[in-house]
Amino acid sequence: MKTKTRKQLANALSYLGLLLASFIALFPVYWTVSTSIKQRDDTFVFPPKFFNFVPTMKNYDAIFATRGFWQTCINTVVITLASTLLCVFIATLAAYALARSPRFRGRGSLEVGLVLIRAVPAIVIMVPLFQIISQLGLYDNHLMLIIMYAAVNLPFAVWLMISFVEQIPIALEQSAAVDGANRWQILVHVVLPLILPGMAATTIFVALLAWNEFLIPVMLAGNSAKTLPVFIAGFISTRNLDWGPMAAASALAIIPITILTVVAQRALVSGLSSGAIKG
Amino acid sequence: MPMPSRGRSKSIETANARLAEMLVLPTWVMLIVVFALPIIGAFYLSFRNETLGAFVAAKFIGFDNYVLAFADPRFWESIWVTLILIVLALVVQIPLGIGLAVLLHRNLAGTQIFRTVLIIPMLLTPVAVGLMWRFMFDADLGVINWAFEQININGPNWLGWRWPAIMAVTIVDSWQSIPFVMLITLAGLAGLPKGPPEAASIDGARASQIFFYITLPSLLPVVLVIAMIRIIDCLKMFDLIFILTGKGGPGTATQTLGMLTYNTGFIFFQISRAAALGVLMIALVAPIYVMWRRATEYAR
Repeated sequence: MKTKTRKQLANALSYLGLLLASFIALFPVYWTVSTSIKQRDDTFVFPPKFFNFVPTMKNYDAIFATRGFWQTCINTVVITLASTLLCVFIATLAAYALARSPRFRGRGSLEVGLVLIRAVPAIVIMVPLFQIISQLGLYDNHLMLIIMYAAVNLPFAVWLMISFVEQIPIALEQSAAVDGANRWQILVHVVLPLILPGMAATTIFVALLAWNEFLIPVMLAGNSAKTLPVFIAGFISTRNLDWGPMAAASALAIIPITILTVVAQRALVSGLSSGAIKG
Repeated sequence: MPMPSRGRSKSIETANARLAEMLVLPTWVMLIVVFALPIIGAFYLSFRNETLGAFVAAKFIGFDNYVLAFADPRFWESIWVTLILIVLALVVQIPLGIGLAVLLHRNLAGTQIFRTVLIIPMLLTPVAVGLMWRFMFDADLGVINWAFEQININGPNWLGWRWPAIMAVTIVDSWQSIPFVMLITLAGLAGLPKGPPEAASIDGARASQIFFYITLPSLLPVVLVIAMIRIIDCLKMFDLIFILTGKGGPGTATQTLGMLTYNTGFIFFQISRAAALGVLMIALVAPIYVMWRRATEYAR
């Protein structure tokens, strides 16, 4: 009996811990969303109002009416999607080579290079890149941003894809080879269908990272290629105390992610656990 | 069908190697164009005196930028701030992350929902959450100081003073990073053999003994890797400080080496000095990189 009460106590404490942690995890999200639908007067009161306020869409109207907002949204979506597709495509090719060919020229340096790039803070390369890109006239250029985004997320995508390729039994490829299929046929008809789920998971991750990216656009983009994080950060200098519209802009960035997390949580958890160790 | 001769299998292998070399070609191009060339560029810039928008032609000035950096108290302060943030991150995040992982690993009813909720913070846009935490930390209107008031504590002016600001950065960084520690530990826990703890339990060991003497030691390789990744990511921390403390404020209280590099190059337009700071940052990363390689090898 004693062990049973002990176990119940342990369970109760576990739930308490998990509930407390969940509350802390979610409260800032709730606070962002609720602040975004509060009247100005309800935002600037002390004590703060948690539930007892009349919701309004005024802050969102203000955001939607901000000059350049829709352009910013289009930029964010286009750059996120294009860079993600480019990144996952390149990463899949490299991951297949790294997972399946134990020996090829430059393999060792490639592995070291990928890890090194994960470790070097991006600000280090941004200083010279800013100079190079300005001189080439590529500042504020969408295509340049797409390539930059794809490059910074490449190491993570490669490692994630390696773990997915390694899950495919090599025997399938060998038997296709015995049946006379050439390397490209094996790649397209045998390997590709099997790694599609892995590619999908990698796509979700890289898209998240691209959506959240701040350092690259804040340094290499001006007004015409501005993205959502830079737009949000812009509130700090321009209207310092206007928390309502700021919260609305923040909510527009984080609500899609929250929904995605809930919908794709299984893929996210397995991918994070396997790829994040190295990436 | 004749058995493939040794020569033939060798030729298959070279063909595979050719294919592999072709497949990694785009990755090489990306690495060289976006990383290798700029890093060489950083070294080159660091030996010159380039400034943004200068009218005087830049020239080679040897190690002057490095000498200036070492003589600058703000440089040493930024290293100090960076190290403090790393230490605080490790001390706070690793125990709490492991703790949550252990709770989830008990697999009580509803675990999956808790896990989903708990990973949300790590996926959210750092700029957006930084902004909201800034609002929550507000000295007059902030919900955090309101909560402190309820238990009769006078909350500090979080973002207005040195140590509270450092705490605030650690709190928000922990909020976003503990889920990462938790998830990786959870994967590590799932990979541990079930035998030893069961045997110990039959022998009458208490749950806490099993945890500290069996589970934790076998988790050590995983924890090492997590610590390395957290160190590297703390060195890279940028968005959060940019937003939360306004590029390293109050004053220079939360100006990390990365933030100092940014401010030097893009607020004060001293691009060559910033490049020198960047090179010094690579020097700081190098030993951590070596330790990281060791830790990953150890974890396998």
